Amino acid sequence: MHKNPLTYDILKEIFNISVGKSASILSDMINKKILLNVPDMDIYDLNERHVDSSEYLPEISSGALMVSSITFDESLRGRANLIFPAEKMRKFINMCTNEDKSDDDGNMDFNDMDFDIVKEIGNIILNSVIGEIGNFLKINLNYSLPEVKIYNKDNFKKDLESVQYSYILTLYISFKIDDTEINGAVIIELTLESLNELIKKVNVLEDEIDG
Amino acid sequence: MDSILYDILDNVSEGIIILNGDIKIIQWNSYMEKITGINYKNAISKTLYEVLPGFNKSYYKRSIDYVMNNGYKMFFSAPMHKGLIDDKHELNIKVGRINGNDGKYLMLEFIDVSNQILRINQLKEDVNKLSTLNKELKEKEKIIQNLAYYDSLTGLANRTLFYKIAEKFLESSKRDNKLLGVMFVDADKFKSINDTYGHMAGDKAIVEIARILKESTRKSDIVARYGGDEFLILLPFIKSESDLKKVLLRITSDKNKYITFGGNKIGISLSIGFSSFPDDGESIDELITKADSEMYKVKNR
Repeated sequence: MHKNPLTYDILKEIFNISVGKSASILSDMINKKILLNVPDMDIYDLNERHVDSSEYLPEISSGALMVSSITFDESLRGRANLIFPAEKMRKFINMCTNEDKSDDDGNMDFNDMDFDIVKEIGNIILNSVIGEIGNFLKINLNYSLPEVKIYNKDNFKKDLESVQYSYILTLYISFKIDDTEINGAVIIELTLESLNELIKKVNVLEDEIDG
Repeated sequence: MDSILYDILDNVSEGIIILNGDIKIIQWNSYMEKITGINYKNAISKTLYEVLPGFNKSYYKRSIDYVMNNGYKMFFSAPMHKGLIDDKHELNIKVGRINGNDGKYLMLEFIDVSNQILRINQLKEDVNKLSTLNKELKEKEKIIQNLAYYDSLTGLANRTLFYKIAEKFLESSKRDNKLLGVMFVDADKFKSINDTYGHMAGDKAIVEIARILKESTRKSDIVARYGGDEFLILLPFIKSESDLKKVLLRITSDKNKYITFGGNKIGISLSIGFSSFPDDGESIDELITKADSEMYKVKNR
């Protein structure tokens, strides 16, 4: 994909505004200082032969991934996934429920309640990211609550490649609660038409900036 | 038709509240009555915040406005929103918007997960018990292993462990053409210590000998209790016989070769013989036998 730096900057700005909003909601909810930002993003065309899946899947973890996904399919068609390394999630979950059990940090046995917590956080973040795209394109998006699953990296790659969305927008997300930082990503899969809609709108903005 | 719908809502196994655009309650099903103890009449036409004051926080208000304005769904998980209704019920709450002909409505679903949480906590407790048991078993296994390989009085390797280690070192000495030393140590007149002062004094003497041998040898040497008052030392990584003699000298020159027992100062004397691979034998048994006979020569001098 031809990389126009201004397009990327504008998109990055939009996503930073949206995750900023979710950080404020989350801080309010769990009474802890939360910082969320999108330091970088990329767009990949899955039809390009040389695109290797390891490129669009950020190197956030070599192990299991905890993925919250929502699918939207009205004016905009695609799927958004919030991804965090599973081994960091125990600490994250404990911080969200104000349970301080540092000996429990690497524990990867998650129960239904843990999944519900991740579902709630994922919903807030994905809502704001996808909501912001909807606002930006002035379209209404309809989707349900996220599904939360644990994948190993290969399975998740296969899952991404099996669905017929040809473009992948990867937002690298850094999530900071108090002094703990977790790096994750939002991977948005889009059809060509939907991505074009988005890029077209950004191009209009670019023209306005360029005068 | 409406009354059938209300009947259906009354029969579902989750709490349902429907709010109008002013966040006033227009539907409060019987499951809500059950979990809150607030009956329909006392809830209807009042705002959500009046009837369930737990929602009277900026976070919930923002979320509810958000759903009303944008149509997205919100989800509040039970563990993160404890005590929202009361301390008895653990509830997952879903909030979604319904677009009616005459305006927008919000539906709040309250799903009771108290039993699931109870079961999860019971499971956690069971897992913890199992993990404690497992830890205890592992510790016991370690003790049993120690009993099999270590002498309980001195903490030194026993004969079994000595052979296991010695065989390995002998193999590598053969392969690399290196020397391997064995020392046989025997306490002189140990029987008379036992007979004169009793077994307690004998044990004390054995512990003291173990200390002397450990302190006089190098880190890489293996000191073992062979049985009774006999000890073996395996000396890998020696370059010549003079290395063996250095260790021997350190043992014999230890100044504290005595124990005090019942006010008596009891002297300890040791006889030591040594042998080495390849000059004195090809097997551990041969090396031990040779060192043993060398020790007897010293003792009988």
